[in-house]
Amino acid sequence: MAEEFPFEISPMYEGERVRKGDMYVELGGSTKDGFELVQVVDDPNEVEDGKVTLIGPDILDMEEGGFYPYGMIYKVAGEQLETDLEAVLERRHHEFQPYMQGYMHLNQRYDIWVRISKDMIKNGLKSFEQIAKATMMLYKNELPFIEKMEAIYITDEEKVKEELAKAMEIYKARDERARAMHDEDADVFYGCTLCQAFAPTSVCVVTPDRTSLCGAMTWFDCRAAAKVDPEGPNFPIEKGECLDELKGEYTGVNEKAVELSGGEYDRIMLYTFMEYPHTSCGCFEVIGFYMPEVQAIGWVDRNFPAATPNGLPFSSMAGQAGGGKQTLGFLGIGIQYFFSPKFLQGEGGWTTTAWLPKDLKDRILEAIPEDMRDKIATEEDATDVTQLMEFMKKVNHPMVAKWAAEEEEEVEEAAEAAAPEAAAMPQMPMMQPGMMPQMQLPAFAPSGGAAGGIKLVLKNANIKVEKIILKKKE
Amino acid sequence: MTTIVISGKGGTGKTNIAALLVRILSENKLVLAIDADPDTNLADALGFPVTKTVGDIREGFLDEKDELAPELDKQSYFESRVMSIIEEADRFDIIAMGRPEGPGCYCYANNILRAVIEKLEGNYEMVVIDTEAGLEHLSRRTVRDIDLLLVVSDVSKRGLDTADRIRALANELNIRVKRIAVIANRVRNEHDREKLKNMAEKMNLELIGFIPFDEELAALDLDGLPLTQLKDDSPAFEAVKDLVERLDLN
Ligand SMILES: Nc1ncnc2c1ncn2[C@@H]1O[C@H](COP(=O)(O)OP(=O)(O)O)[C@@H](O)[C@H]1O
Ligand code: SF4
Ligand SMILES: [Mg+2]
Repeated sequence: MAEEFPFEISPMYEGERVRKGDMYVELGGSTKDGFELVQVVDDPNEVEDGKVTLIGPDILDMEEGGFYPYGMIYKVAGEQLETDLEAVLERRHHEFQPYMQGYMHLNQRYDIWVRISKDMIKNGLKSFEQIAKATMMLYKNELPFIEKMEAIYITDEEKVKEELAKAMEIYKARDERARAMHDEDADVFYGCTLCQAFAPTSVCVVTPDRTSLCGAMTWFDCRAAAKVDPEGPNFPIEKGECLDELKGEYTGVNEKAVELSGGEYDRIMLYTFMEYPHTSCGCFEVIGFYMPEVQAIGWVDRNFPAATPNGLPFSSMAGQAGGGKQTLGFLGIGIQYFFSPKFLQGEGGWTTTAWLPKDLKDRILEAIPEDMRDKIATEEDATDVTQLMEFMKKVNHPMVAKWAAEEEEEVEEAAEAAAPEAAAMPQMPMMQPGMMPQMQLPAFAPSGGAAGGIKLVLKNANIKVEKIILKKKE
Repeated sequence: MTTIVISGKGGTGKTNIAALLVRILSENKLVLAIDADPDTNLADALGFPVTKTVGDIREGFLDEKDELAPELDKQSYFESRVMSIIEEADRFDIIAMGRPEGPGCYCYANNILRAVIEKLEGNYEMVVIDTEAGLEHLSRRTVRDIDLLLVVSDVSKRGLDTADRIRALANELNIRVKRIAVIANRVRNEHDREKLKNMAEKMNLELIGFIPFDEELAALDLDGLPLTQLKDDSPAFEAVKDLVERLDLN
C-alpha cells in the first residue's frame, strides 16, 4: 500500500492539540455523538479489503468551524483474529489516528473527540476516505495478522445515532466478558512498582481476580501500560506453575517477589490473609486486621474516621502495615477485591470476616454472600472486641464454632522454669507487624539467658507453621 | 518550549506578574498558562474564570474508577478530560490545577496526569506557571525542567529571604532549574531600589528587574477586573515588557 497522503504520518504528532482557532471541524466531542468500533468478522468474504464507505456529508461539504457527529466502524478479518481481540484492536485506533498531522483524536469508544485542523484542508485533505485509508494502512503495517480491513465512516446524524446504539450493546457485552475473566484464564499476571518510591520493597501483583490495592489498576490497565511503556512501572509476570490453587501461589509470582523486593520475601499467596500475604504499600483503599480474640478479620476503609474494634483507626494501621512488608495480621486491599470470587479463598473466604464499617458494608453488600450478610457486625453492633464477641455469638458467626473446637485442643508444653513473658504466645502480632516479613514466630527464647526451659501455650491458635527452630543460647 | 515558573512569598504580586507575562509573551508566541494556585487567581486575572480544574478531574477519577469499563484506556480517558477543561483564548490557553490532594492514593492518578500535562506542554512555545507560595507541589507535580524560575519579592527583607529559601529548596528537590532570578515588585522609589539591590547582592541573588507600584493595576484588581484591560503604557506593563525584552524571551 504505497498510498500518498496529503499529511504527514508519524508517532511524533501524537499528543498534538488542535486549538479551537486552528480547527476546521470538530467531530464527536461534548456536543455531538461520536464513536469508534472495531469488529472482527469471521467470514473473510464479508470484508472487502481497503474499501471505505462514507454515509453522510464528506469533509469539504462541512462548514468551517462546525461541529458534526462522527462514527467510525472497521471490519477486520484474519485467520488469527477472534472477537476477544476487538477491544485490544480498538485501543490501537486511539494510538494510530493521532499519528496524522493536524488530526486530534481523544478518548475512546463512544466518547471520542476529534478535531481536524485547517492546515490539513489547506494541505489537500479532501475526503474522510483519506483518513480511513491512512488509519487502515497503519493497522495493517503494525498488525500483520489483520488480513482484510474495511471502513465505514458515518457523519449523518441519524445514522450515527442508530449505529451508536448498536455499538453500545457490543461494548456492554465486551465489558461483561472482561469482568467475567478469571485468574485461570490468564497466562500472565502483571506487577506494579509505582509505589516503590515510598515503599521500596512493595510489589503489587495485579490479576484479573485481584485489582490493585490502590484500586486504580486493573489487570487490563496493567496489560496496556506494560505494552505501551515496557520500561515503566508495570510489567508482565509469567504465572508459572500453580503451587496452590486455593491459596493462589504461583512460581512466577514468587520469583518476581524475590527479585523486586530485594529478597525481602520470597513467597506471595494471592488469596490469603495469614500466610505469605500480599504486601501493602500504604496506598490501599481498605485495610484488613486480624483480631486474635475472635479469630476473625475486620476491614476498615479510609473514610471511616473512628477506631475499629481493635482500638485502632485506619490511619494508625495504615502507618504500621504500609511500607511494603509482608505484615502478618494486616492486609491492604482495593475495594474491588471484595467482589472477587477469590476473596480470601485460601482461608474460607467471607466466613472469616466479622466486622466492617456500616458505609463500607452497604457499598459492598452485593459482594457478601447472602448467608454472611447478617453475621458481619458494623460500628452499630460493636465498637470493641468484647461487644464483637457477643455479637458473633448472637448471630452464630461461623468462627464461633471454631472457638469451641479449639478451646479443647489447648496445648500446654510446660517445662520446669516457666518464662512468663513468653507465655502468652503466638497470638497474632498486632503490635509490630513490620517486624515479621518472613513470618518467623516472635522470638521466644527465654529471657535473661537463664538455663530455664520454656512454656509454650498455644491458645486458640490457628497457624500453620512450617518450621520451628528452638535453640539453646550458647 | 520554554518553561517559566513564578514563585515567591504570598501577596507579592506573583499572579499579576504572571498574567502580564502571559499577555506580553502571547503577542509573539503560543503560550500555555498554568494556574497552580488552588485559588485560581491567574485564570481570573486573565479574564477566564475557570470552572473545572485538574484537581476536580483527579477526584472524579477516584470516585468513578470502579465503574469505568474494564478495558478502557485510563490515560486516554484522563487526557481527554484534561483537554476539555482548557480555556482557549486567542493567543494563549489556560489550565488550572485546582485544589491539592485529599487523603487516598494518588500515585496512579498523578502519574497519568504528569504524563498528560507533559504532553500538553509540548504543544506550546511558552509555558508560564503561577504558583502558590512555596515550591512543594512542583516536586510532585508537572514540572521537572524549569528554564526560568522567577521569584517575586516585595520591597522587604522577608521577600528576599523567601527567594533565598526557594533557591535552596529547588536545589534540594529533583528539579532542574536553568536560571533563578528575583524581581522586585511594587517598588516606589530610587531608595527602595538601592536598598534591595544591596541586600540582593549580599545574599548572592540575581535581581533582574523592578516593577513599579502601579495605581491603574491596583485599581483594576480592586474592581475585580482582568489585567487584560491594563493599558500598554501603564508602568507595570512597561516594566514587564522591558523585562521580557532584556531576558530575550520574545
Ligand atoms: N505593581 C503593582 N502595583 C500595585 N499593586 C500591585 C502590584 N502588583 C501587585 N499588586 C497588588 O498586590 C496584591 C497581591 O497581588 P497578587 O498578584 O495577587 O499576589 P500573589 O499572587 O503573589 O499572592 C493585589 O492586590 C495586587 O493588586
Ligand atoms: S498501589 Fe497501585 S500504584 Fe501503587 S504499586 Fe500498587 S498498583 Fe501500583
Ligand atoms: Mg497568586
